[in-house]
Amino acid sequence: MAIDKVKLQVLADHSLAAAESMANTLCRTAHSTFVKETEDFTTGLTTAEGETFAAPRSLGATWFVGLDYANVIRMIDDYREGDICMTNDPYSGFVCTHSPDIHLWKPVFHKGEIVCFAVGHVHNTDVGGAVPASLSRTLTEVHQEGIRIPPVKLFRAGELDQQLLDVLLTNVRVRDQNWGDLKALVAAVNTGERKVREMIAKFGIADFRIGIRDLLDYTEATARSIIRTIPNGTYAFHDYIDEDSPGGVPCRLALDAIVGDESIVLDFRRSDPQLSSSMNMPTGGAERHTLLLVAIYHAFYSLRPDMLVNAGMTRPFRCLLADGSILNPRYPAAVGMRSLTAIRLQDVVFGFLAAAMPERMPAAPAGSICIMNVLTSDPKTGRRVMAAIDPLVGGGGAMPGFDGSNGSGGNAGFLKNTPVEINEVEVPIRVLRYGLTPDSGGAGRHRGGLSVTLEFQVFAPNTVITARNRDRTRFQAWGTQGGRAGAPSSFFINRGSPKARVLGNTDICTVEPGDIIEISSSGGGGWGSPFDRPAAAVLADLEQAFVTAEGAKRDYGVVIRDGVVDNAASDELRQRLRSQKVKDHFDFGPEREAFERLWGGANYDVLIERLRSVPVEWRFFLKRKVFDAVAASAKEKGDIGPATIAAIFGGVKREFPQLS
Amino acid sequence: MGYRVGVDIGGTFTDLCALDESTNRLYTHKVLSTPAEPGADVIAGLRALKARYGIEPQAISYFTHGTTVGVNTIIERNGANLCLLTTEHFEDVLELGRLKMPDVFNLFSLRPPPLIPKSRVLPIRERILSDGTILLPLEEGSVLRAVRRARDLGADGLVVSLLNAYRNPAHEERIKEIVQHLAPDLLVILSSAVWPIVREYERTITAVINGYVQPRISGYLSSLQAALRSEGVPVEPQVTKSNGGVMRAELGKRASVDVLLSGTASGVTGASYLARQSGLTQVASLDIGGTSADMALIVDGEPQYGTGERIGDFNLFIPSVAVSSVGGGGGMIAWVDREGVLKSGPLSAGSEPGPACYARGGTRPTTTDAFLVCGFLGQADLAYGSVRPRRDLAHSAIGGLARLLSRTIEETAESIIEVAVSGMYVEITKLFARYGADPKSFALMAFGGAGPMIACFLARELKMESILVPTTPGVLSALGGVVSDSKNDFIRTIYEVVEAEISERLRQAYGELTRDAQAWLRNEQGHKGTPRLRLSADMRYVGQSFEIETPLSERWIRDGDTAAIKAAFHDQHQRIYDYCDREASVQMIHARAVIAAENPKPHFLRRPEEPHDPEPAGGAEVYYDGRRRTARFYRREELRPGAAFMGPAIVAQEDTTTCVLDGFACKVDGYGNLVLCQEGREGR
Repeated sequence: MAIDKVKLQVLADHSLAAAESMANTLCRTAHSTFVKETEDFTTGLTTAEGETFAAPRSLGATWFVGLDYANVIRMIDDYREGDICMTNDPYSGFVCTHSPDIHLWKPVFHKGEIVCFAVGHVHNTDVGGAVPASLSRTLTEVHQEGIRIPPVKLFRAGELDQQLLDVLLTNVRVRDQNWGDLKALVAAVNTGERKVREMIAKFGIADFRIGIRDLLDYTEATARSIIRTIPNGTYAFHDYIDEDSPGGVPCRLALDAIVGDESIVLDFRRSDPQLSSSMNMPTGGAERHTLLLVAIYHAFYSLRPDMLVNAGMTRPFRCLLADGSILNPRYPAAVGMRSLTAIRLQDVVFGFLAAAMPERMPAAPAGSICIMNVLTSDPKTGRRVMAAIDPLVGGGGAMPGFDGSNGSGGNAGFLKNTPVEINEVEVPIRVLRYGLTPDSGGAGRHRGGLSVTLEFQVFAPNTVITARNRDRTRFQAWGTQGGRAGAPSSFFINRGSPKARVLGNTDICTVEPGDIIEISSSGGGGWGSPFDRPAAAVLADLEQAFVTAEGAKRDYGVVIRDGVVDNAASDELRQRLRSQKVKDHFDFGPEREAFERLWGGANYDVLIERLRSVPVEWRFFLKRKVFDAVAASAKEKGDIGPATIAAIFGGVKREFPQLS
Repeated sequence: MGYRVGVDIGGTFTDLCALDESTNRLYTHKVLSTPAEPGADVIAGLRALKARYGIEPQAISYFTHGTTVGVNTIIERNGANLCLLTTEHFEDVLELGRLKMPDVFNLFSLRPPPLIPKSRVLPIRERILSDGTILLPLEEGSVLRAVRRARDLGADGLVVSLLNAYRNPAHEERIKEIVQHLAPDLLVILSSAVWPIVREYERTITAVINGYVQPRISGYLSSLQAALRSEGVPVEPQVTKSNGGVMRAELGKRASVDVLLSGTASGVTGASYLARQSGLTQVASLDIGGTSADMALIVDGEPQYGTGERIGDFNLFIPSVAVSSVGGGGGMIAWVDREGVLKSGPLSAGSEPGPACYARGGTRPTTTDAFLVCGFLGQADLAYGSVRPRRDLAHSAIGGLARLLSRTIEETAESIIEVAVSGMYVEITKLFARYGADPKSFALMAFGGAGPMIACFLARELKMESILVPTTPGVLSALGGVVSDSKNDFIRTIYEVVEAEISERLRQAYGELTRDAQAWLRNEQGHKGTPRLRLSADMRYVGQSFEIETPLSERWIRDGDTAAIKAAFHDQHQRIYDYCDREASVQMIHARAVIAAENPKPHFLRRPEEPHDPEPAGGAEVYYDGRRRTARFYRREELRPGAAFMGPAIVAQEDTTTCVLDGFACKVDGYGNLVLCQEGREGR
């Protein structure tokens, strides 16, 4: 570090103040409710090279604090004072990662030289394309996901490019909202520029230039000091997305982490090949792409809440990604729903950290951040209503020392719900139930956070329910240290009636007048053996309807009769249960155990390895064929090992001679 | 003619001020607070006023009081033992809140445990729809079961908050009747009566907080009334309110939730009163004590109001004077992290054990210790003579850090001040950005024990043109009580698109609000003066999820001029958010009324300013901006109007110390305020 260490915190504070001012300006002047309520935006300052050295902490999304603008900065030449550049193309530099995110960057000059950039993005409600809001799992090509603007100048030396703006706004469904939000973002980067000038005046240009690099070095040093406390070694962990496309087969995200003294290699190459749905996460194969490291931001900040959050956190990491994979797709793979993948990927990285530091890390959070929308009509007036009703996020993972937070928490704590009373006025629906789901938290010495259940009735024909990011109905949020997995998520129409439908991970459905929709998020994983949870705590859970009497007995071995713990019966039962169930460090729930009897690590590894040998366009297609063939073969023969998988793959491949 | 007395109870000190109505002279005094024996401090204070200034209790013509009993009840979690009755299938309203976690980056972030645990939430079978119609009539059996269960649980009271009760309170009211019949000793609080807003969590938590603090506040106010009577005070006490007004103590026993922020709010009321008197309209009031630093913006001479102010772990959704925490106060602990970077806070030494230099057992270096080492403190005793700061202890506390940083002790102390100031700078910058305001156009009014000490450092960073240090910065809350108006808020939920069709509904709603407001003022508050009635509405564009309050004219309501109402909203939206959409539909969510009636105001003497260079009481060596300099030392009580001098200077008084850095010109105005202006700036 070059500038005075006692000055560094002062520079950090002023940088944070700049980023926060930008965020407040954006939040205050944005037009869309989506931006104001879900805070799906960022603001920040980067070095002249593009590394984010300041990001807000109290407002905005948590995923982008390590964003590196270097690629897009390089794609514009000849910067001039007053320029503001823009892109929303996920395949131009991989700063933008799906089309609704419009990113801006503005060079800040001092005596003719660029000293830093003021940057930011907003998630626009819609940028055109095949479906309203531009996002759907069913889309297969980035071209269906709306207009793509490669890196261009929106303002040239302070002058708005009206023609460019017209092209953009002609291609979107709610132009006023987009322009309103874009203006707010322009105001934010202008605020950032002004704040940087104030900082240069205060600290002097020399100290400012060196100081902002010192801030990155400082965070890097903090991150490395945290890594020093993680035991060296290799840790493997994987988790699944329930479906690789609507109604599809599981999709694996796998990590081999190699922890060195002060650095970590995250090898994601055993993850699925790129998908023919829109859950691909575009990274360009970058070694330190921000979307790969979100879990690190959360975990490291949790371990050192005083640490400065910036791109320096990413420096000790090196990520390895296979080309043409879900984490490094090739153009023109669709990427709109990359958030679902990004959320599951966080669980994978959390899993590695929990394996490496079992005493310090929580169990898995629910891993579901579902955004619910209803499109219906008012039976009285016929008025069409489209509204976001509630985000459904599940419980936090249980922590060393504490139960997981109920209803939301962990890495999904940033969303707000919509009050029942507001939903009932705004949308012609009737809410029948909104609350926590008993027995849904992973059992443990510390209980996982409970999931939320929302039940409502609709009254108009052709009512469309969308539920973005639906997942975890099959594979559950894992427990650690002997704690159990959280309950899976569920989605029903008219449960218990003759018209009942089980919708699983469906993210869009049409319902009829009188239909009752019941949707539950997933629960967080438990921490420590449930048989070590004090009976009094289980009783307290029962009194709060967090567990049922059956759940207390089944999951915790605590027998409660008429509100009183039967100590003798409980001791006996707990002793018996303890002796039968020897759980590993992790519990993933029965569905995963069943799946992995067929598709356990080695079998899936062979599949991934073989798929990598065929052209990208064939990988998803062949994966399905192999899954079908393996399912058929398993029915006949039962036990299947890696050799059989290889043989089946060979057989499937031979059906397509053009491949050889 | 008599004395108008304000008493404000803080964590450490109880502040008193007494205004002689015949001479307009203001007397102030401080005594130690007695949290263990509430009310004893007030009596001690009154006796001290008599002993020190000869103010007889019988001569007190008006008495206002701010108390922290309510806030402490929430923070210490020792309020009433309550049960909550909700509509069946919605019992998790307190558990879920609005979902968002306190610290979104931190995996270990936890929501605070609710004031009423889920095991004490009891379901009621009933359902009212959003238009107020009854879908499922109240099943009285479920009420009987709930009351029985509440009895078994040993509850002191019931809070009833049913879905959509803001629109139709019939079921809540019927439950109250039933409970009063079955169990007349149980306290019953209805959400529709406390603050009938739409949004079930916000309405419920407001009712819950009201019930939670009510027994203690009511008990406290009763003992206060008795104590004042026994001391011979002939008037009924008034209590200060979160909305910056006052009401009779008797009313506070029921509307307890209104009393919660009384001290902080009346501090801002006092600040805005002094600001107006000095001709300042744009002011940031900064109150820094040992453990907290709070800022409020005064715009066009008026405090800003908001809903959602923090009380302990919770937000309060009744209209309150908006005050934001901007840091941890003079007790913030400085430390060096593993990477060798100097930090300040968030840990605070508070008032116990306090800064190292207080010699009360604290050993870790605080901001106050740094000011002492830099020479700004130590010439005089602190906190009304109760603390004689010890330089040797401050030196040894900071010495440890100096060794870690390889700096001199003075350099380290200066850096501690710098880091503490930059931490506050972040929060203050955020606050201004949220309001879309520019600190450069505001004056800083500094009070609290540490406010005037840090003010110059902050004003330099924020480029604020001037600083005002009132004559008695320690007793601004007490003074705020004395100058507060009688005031109350009223609300009805409308939730309609603003069109001509709703004119009649608005006339009816505002008619009711007006009648309620006038009845409150006349019958309950017993005020005979001319009321000011202010009508407003919480409105938004259709599709937005938050409202902004827009003042309305009575004429628009009377004439059904919905166009004017909409136009007022568009203008307000433009003012706050820099844009508006005159084509878009506007929704009115709540109709509101505020009634206020002026209480007599003191008129402080303005003495002529005779420009002069005052003779310092001494000199002091101070260290800042990297070098040592000689500062003049003044005693505040010796400075007369018209005195003018340049920094560096130190002005000590019994409740605070003002640091005047070089580059600042200090002047004493006709009211005795210190007015500091940055050189090259005009000031006011």
